[in-house]
Amino acid sequence: MTNNELTSGNGSVCNFSYLSEIMNAKKHLIVGIMDIFLQQIPDELKGINEAILNSDYEITRRFAHTMKSSVAILGITALNPILKEMERLGLEASNIEKIRELSLQLNLICGQALAEVEKEKTLYN
Amino acid sequence: MNPRTKLTIFVVEDNALFNTALKADIETTFENMNVKVHSFDTGEACMKMFEELKPEVMILDYNLNSKNPNAVDGIKVLDWIKKENHDTNVIILTSDDHIDIAVKAFQHGAADYVVKSETKFKKINYSIFNTIKVLEARSEARKYKRLATGLFVSIALIVIGVSLVQFFMPSLFH
Repeated sequence: MTNNELTSGNGSVCNFSYLSEIMNAKKHLIVGIMDIFLQQIPDELKGINEAILNSDYEITRRFAHTMKSSVAILGITALNPILKEMERLGLEASNIEKIRELSLQLNLICGQALAEVEKEKTLYN
Repeated sequence: MNPRTKLTIFVVEDNALFNTALKADIETTFENMNVKVHSFDTGEACMKMFEELKPEVMILDYNLNSKNPNAVDGIKVLDWIKKENHDTNVIILTSDDHIDIAVKAFQHGAADYVVKSETKFKKINYSIFNTIKVLEARSEARKYKRLATGLFVSIALIVIGVSLVQFFMPSLFH
């Protein structure tokens, strides 16, 4: 994936204006969502990474499926094709090497997303 | 829309982040209306409260057992809800944009089907708006039915009364 495809044009992976729009710019709701994101995404990443380490296709598929919904709230569209592909490969129980490659991108983008959310959250305090 | 129309909505979604965002979005969209949202992270939890709270609308995740494979899935919950109260409008929510899931959802009685895309929240709110309109229309229809019945009974009683008077006291009419 190119850098432009990974980011939303301005170098960031999260779309905070989307979050603000769906929460109607209500500060306490936005911060609440960010808090849950900061807890949930590391847990989901841990789960999917462990599943890939154990070559567990079914658990990989489940986590990839769940994460599609989680990342959608912060408008992280760059992860859509990655998670979709991981879910598909998990369902087919094939090509663990490709899944591992995709998980590298997943971890990279999630890492950046978490940093962006931490930084954005400070603007609301 | 009548802001006094009362609506209870269940959000049943095992992804905590999505569940919280969806509940917040609905409450914000309908904040000037008498709408109460209850959220649940399992089908079992929502079925426990169903009889007590009697929601008119339910937004139900298709893959409710994505985290816990032993949990009841969305279709089973839908089947149960339809048996308990056929009038509850169930909107199925899913990440998978597959036609067979949509067909299955409608076959099991779902009122609507929304894919978790960028416009998901708008679509859900649109579905809820339509449900409110249907509920208001039904309420108006019941009101007019009662009025019409009352009018009919009143007229019937008047006619019967006049007929009885005419029969027993014909001199009154001469």
